[in-house]
Amino acid sequence: MRVRLLGIGFLAPALVAVSLFFLLPVLLTAVFSFTNMSTSTGISGGEYLIIETDLRDLPAQGVSAETVVQLDAAGYAITEVGLARMAAAFGADRAQELREDYFGDTFEARRDLERLLRDLDNNPIRNTRERKAAADLFAVTIVGERYDTEAAFRDALSDTGIDPSDHDALVTAAYTGWIWTSDNFSLLFELPSTLRYALNTAFYVVCTLAFNITFGLFLAISTFYLPLKLANVFRSIWFLPRILPPVMYVLMWNWFTWDNGFIATVTGWFGVPQQNWMMQTPTHAWTVIILINGFVGASLGMILFSSAIKAIPLPMLYASEVDGANRWQQVRYIILPQMRWPILFLTCYQTLSLLTSFEYILLATDGGPGSTTEVWALAAYHTALSNYGGNLQYGLGAAFALILVVIGIVLSALYLRFFNFKELVAKPRIEQ
Amino acid sequence: MDLRLTKFTKRFGDVTVIDKMDLTVRSGEMMALLGPSGCGKSTTLFAICGIHKMDGGTLHFGEEEVTRLPAQQRPVGVVFQNYALYPHMTVAQNIAFPLRVQRKTRSEITDEVGRMAELVQISNLLDRRPAQLSGGQQQRVALARAMVRKPDVLLLDEPLANLDAKLRLEMRSEIRRIQRETGITAILVTHDQVEAMSMCDRIALMKDGGIVQLDTPMGMYTDPADKFVAGFLGNPPISFVQAQSGDSLDLGHGLRIARPDGLQARGEITLGIRPEHVGPQFGTGLEGEIVFVEPQGREELVDIRLASGAELRAILPSGTGHALGQRVDWGVDAKRILAFSPEGARL
Repeated sequence: MRVRLLGIGFLAPALVAVSLFFLLPVLLTAVFSFTNMSTSTGISGGEYLIIETDLRDLPAQGVSAETVVQLDAAGYAITEVGLARMAAAFGADRAQELREDYFGDTFEARRDLERLLRDLDNNPIRNTRERKAAADLFAVTIVGERYDTEAAFRDALSDTGIDPSDHDALVTAAYTGWIWTSDNFSLLFELPSTLRYALNTAFYVVCTLAFNITFGLFLAISTFYLPLKLANVFRSIWFLPRILPPVMYVLMWNWFTWDNGFIATVTGWFGVPQQNWMMQTPTHAWTVIILINGFVGASLGMILFSSAIKAIPLPMLYASEVDGANRWQQVRYIILPQMRWPILFLTCYQTLSLLTSFEYILLATDGGPGSTTEVWALAAYHTALSNYGGNLQYGLGAAFALILVVIGIVLSALYLRFFNFKELVAKPRIEQ
Repeated sequence: MDLRLTKFTKRFGDVTVIDKMDLTVRSGEMMALLGPSGCGKSTTLFAICGIHKMDGGTLHFGEEEVTRLPAQQRPVGVVFQNYALYPHMTVAQNIAFPLRVQRKTRSEITDEVGRMAELVQISNLLDRRPAQLSGGQQQRVALARAMVRKPDVLLLDEPLANLDAKLRLEMRSEIRRIQRETGITAILVTHDQVEAMSMCDRIALMKDGGIVQLDTPMGMYTDPADKFVAGFLGNPPISFVQAQSGDSLDLGHGLRIARPDGLQARGEITLGIRPEHVGPQFGTGLEGEIVFVEPQGREELVDIRLASGAELRAILPSGTGHALGQRVDWGVDAKRILAFSPEGARL
């Protein structure tokens, strides 16, 4: 028992970290993705409010045309609420007279009610401005009125004499807060841009990965054959992209590719018209993005592959030399076959990290030109956290993200299975 | 094809590990490079196959100078200590590798691999991978791979070091058989004098980057050039005792033995006496006490301590019933006593 507790104790930090930094975010993403939260709904509860511009959309939400006309044309009525206000503002005697003679009467226009107030038997309201204010006390329209609770809104509907069969639809239409819904996902599958983002992502991941692995291998193998000191210098230089802060690294690429940057200046000497080498065309943008991400990934590949090459026993390389293999044959037949596992591992690892990474694209092209380089993760970010229109759609963005999470988990599970994790941690593949 | 190494010098950084070494290996001969760790024997081997560049001197295979040829172009085959088989290739692919990089035709490769597999007797293992082979089988594969190119010189770097005792015996005679059958010139690097003596035609005994003595195994055993050679060869090892050379040899505390014929030196000398030359069958004169008995089956090792404190080791047929603490008076085969100066030179 004590031993088991000790084990759990040792695991605790990992469990806390996994819960805080993986499970909780995933859970919240899942929760948000099934809401319609956005800037306009807020993230706390809402109120009930129908405004003038909503009226046009109401028939589409199942509200009858008569009700809409009624809401639109609703005027003034002598009600208890209005009378109480009247008594407070303009005296109980006037209110009493209105109650006795006109209780329940409705007026389509304020002018009619004002005439009545002017013609009161005792103590009529003579001042025009006061009369207008008094008439407003009896306004019964709910358009533009805020109600804090559903009950208050329903009471108001009843007071206005709206057909009760339309109440439910109106309550739904009037609610300004967020609600639970699966609309985000149906929207995702309907929007043509979704497919575009998915294809962009696939293109980005495949191309960057290919560049990463090939260039990483090239660096690792070429530095392996260099004298140690020179090799270390080269490795340090090629490691820079990884250790530079992304903002600075991309800023340097910007300088490099701007229309008055390095490339433009140099090509300018040869008569090439100045242009923005990053944003000129989608081809330019993709090339730059793949290079930016590729160099970062390649430096990691270089380190990993270098150490894998170093793990090959030296006598094996000597043996291939006395067997007559030249450099190229040594790489092709001895080194590369033994790099199978590091290459596969890096491929899997990089797929996952590339799927979710968008910071370099955000900083470089921000998905442009147009949305030609907008990848899935960047779309999620734009939708939820940086919408150009100003309405941040947290719910829709979370739906984007949740799909990415699901793909990531499925891929990880497949990789773990494929790599036979137990075997990987058991013994080195290269013996002796 | 004979091999001539002339004034071979090798430096690692500022350290000269081998200085102007000469070595000639005759055609078809198996030569051992024997010596303790760090004596430069592996360095010599790596220089001969071209993995290490030579910092001075020349190397000839027959009449052809190969000093500056890269390893890929030298007609050598090498068997490494760990065999250095390619783990991702089958046995057949391993053996075929030297031919494959020469772009030989497929049928040619298959024929050659079959021939080599037969020579080293692993025809039934061709589809396995190195990890599925025993040490002895890996050894045979390494031999086949080294010889499939039909090299002029076969180099073996401690080929038996990683085998257990029984396999080592088997592979010892096996390597010798293959070398004899093919008539190839071979160099065996080893620190094990038994291996060197049992497998090779001649031994070059190395120490501190130079060759101390080059001779046939028996020549070197019976006629060592100096104390180091005498001490390095022989198992169980030779015993050294201090003596005062006068009319007879004075071992101290009244022990005297007759002067061997032909010994000129007088004064302080060191005697080297091999275990098989001490015992009751050689008369008397060496009085001492038995301090160590080790039965080895057919024989037993007996150490006696003389009055001077020096110890002599004898190897006797077993069953003589010697016991610890027993006092004995044995003799020595005077003709076989080796004498060395205090500096270790042979007298």
